[in-house]
Amino acid sequence: MPCLLIDRVSKSFGGIKALDRTSFTVDAGELVGLIGPNGSGKTTLINILSGYLAADAGRVDLDGRPTGGLRPETLAALGVQRTFQLTRSFPRMSTLDNLLVAGSALGLSQEAAETRALELLEDLALVRLMHLDAGHLSGGQLKLLEFGACFMVPPRIALLDEPFAAVHPTMKEIMAGFIRRRHAAGQTFILVSHDMPVIVELCPRTICMNAGAVIADENTRAVLTDPVVIEAYLGEAAA
Amino acid sequence: MKAEDVQGGTRARMRTELLVSLGILAAVALLPAIVANEYWRGVFIVSMYFAMLAAAWNLLAGYTGQLSLAPAAFGMIGGYVTGLLSYHYNAPPMVGIPAAIVVSGLIGFVLGRIVLRLRGPYLALTTLSFAEIVRLIISNSIEITRGDLGLNVPGIFDHRLAYYYAMLAVLLAVQLGLYFLLRTPAGLYLRAIRDDEIAAASRGVKIVLWKTNAFTLSAAISGLAGALYGHFAQFVSPELGLISQTGIIISMVVIGGLGTLPGPIGAAFLVYIASEFLRGFGGYQLIVFALLVIIFSRFFREGLWGLLRRAFERARARPATAQAAE
Repeated sequence: MPCLLIDRVSKSFGGIKALDRTSFTVDAGELVGLIGPNGSGKTTLINILSGYLAADAGRVDLDGRPTGGLRPETLAALGVQRTFQLTRSFPRMSTLDNLLVAGSALGLSQEAAETRALELLEDLALVRLMHLDAGHLSGGQLKLLEFGACFMVPPRIALLDEPFAAVHPTMKEIMAGFIRRRHAAGQTFILVSHDMPVIVELCPRTICMNAGAVIADENTRAVLTDPVVIEAYLGEAAA
Repeated sequence: MKAEDVQGGTRARMRTELLVSLGILAAVALLPAIVANEYWRGVFIVSMYFAMLAAAWNLLAGYTGQLSLAPAAFGMIGGYVTGLLSYHYNAPPMVGIPAAIVVSGLIGFVLGRIVLRLRGPYLALTTLSFAEIVRLIISNSIEITRGDLGLNVPGIFDHRLAYYYAMLAVLLAVQLGLYFLLRTPAGLYLRAIRDDEIAAASRGVKIVLWKTNAFTLSAAISGLAGALYGHFAQFVSPELGLISQTGIIISMVVIGGLGTLPGPIGAAFLVYIASEFLRGFGGYQLIVFALLVIIFSRFFREGLWGLLRRAFERARARPATAQAAE
């Protein structure tokens, strides 16, 4: 049984088909890259997988259980953790408290949540900022914090929506290293990114979407050299 | 990184806030020793009524980010529950006051459910309509409530000082209760919902449950305050639920410090006592407080408590930098 099964999921906004019978599966322990030009439906798909949008048609199963109609907080408790393309945090709470929210909400005891938060702050080089309100962090530090919050309790699947966008190379390396180690330890990811070098480096398998449909789904090298993918990104002439 | 470092930050800040709150209440406990005037002691009792309403509204608006415009309505509901029970059924305060807490809490629960998906101005307008509807129902149900004539409520104690310390004990209990609540993960959930509801849901915070809890608890505390006020004043009327009363409560919280423990209760005394002094100059109190609210929300978002805290931190930092310079 796949960890995540996406079966002919469709979603329209007015007359625009954001997702058009999108289907793929993700096995436990996979690190899958999700690429595609702007407006190809990547974020819409992430929003459906995490419960912020309801699909018009199709089904999504997590470990064989249908997730349709579940609220974001329920899905989070089932182990679907995500980051947002436009980073979200709790600006008037300390960096530490930002992590403790996630730990407590997912059932950790206060002590366990604190121990875990300190480990993550260490991993993400945020320790000296732990008592600073998140509102005072830089954009890159916020990305790291939001990212860390997803791993307070190891999720069933982590949906990372553009974690590397506008992040300083040093922080990008911290994040990439973190993803690499977790993947080696068996963590399942979907990684949305426009950063092809990172996708090539991290993801063994990549899915490319265009106009709401999956146009390529195989090993990353093959996807990036696929004429259909190049055409979707650069137009017909380049292919 | 040591475990005790975790103890700093938020927890240390909350402990300070609790200590300052206790300091304020200790000062209030000593006030009757200085002020023998019965009228002024009455003013302090009413200040404590407002301090409870301010603390309750602060839980909802300051800590959970739900800008309800109905706090005075819940005070009025509490007063009328115990008032009507004693008027129609001769129920003693021992029954009336708990009933006021339960009924206000239940109505708060229902209101919380109704406004669950509303935010910002929509939430404010819906709670305002609710407050006005309740006030008009009470004011027009003349056969049951005697309408605008108001309702006589039996007293509990013979001496004003007994009311004084009873109110103070309840205010202390409310303040301690809020402190211990906000220290638990519940405090984290409420503040997370205030800061970003969407992010809170994505972290697994049960939004519906905690928003409803905040509404219910805030309404129950307000109802308790209103019931105690009714027995002290021995009279309740629909005027308790006027929007201007809500305005006073909001000004207390904003001036004292939204989302802080000592701010709202400290400012409740300052604002109410100031309004007593301003009373001599006609209806200017609300204008003065409205201006203060605008100034504070524009320039001092953390209110008087924030100003005090920063002054204190600067004073503490100065000797340290002087040492470093040497």
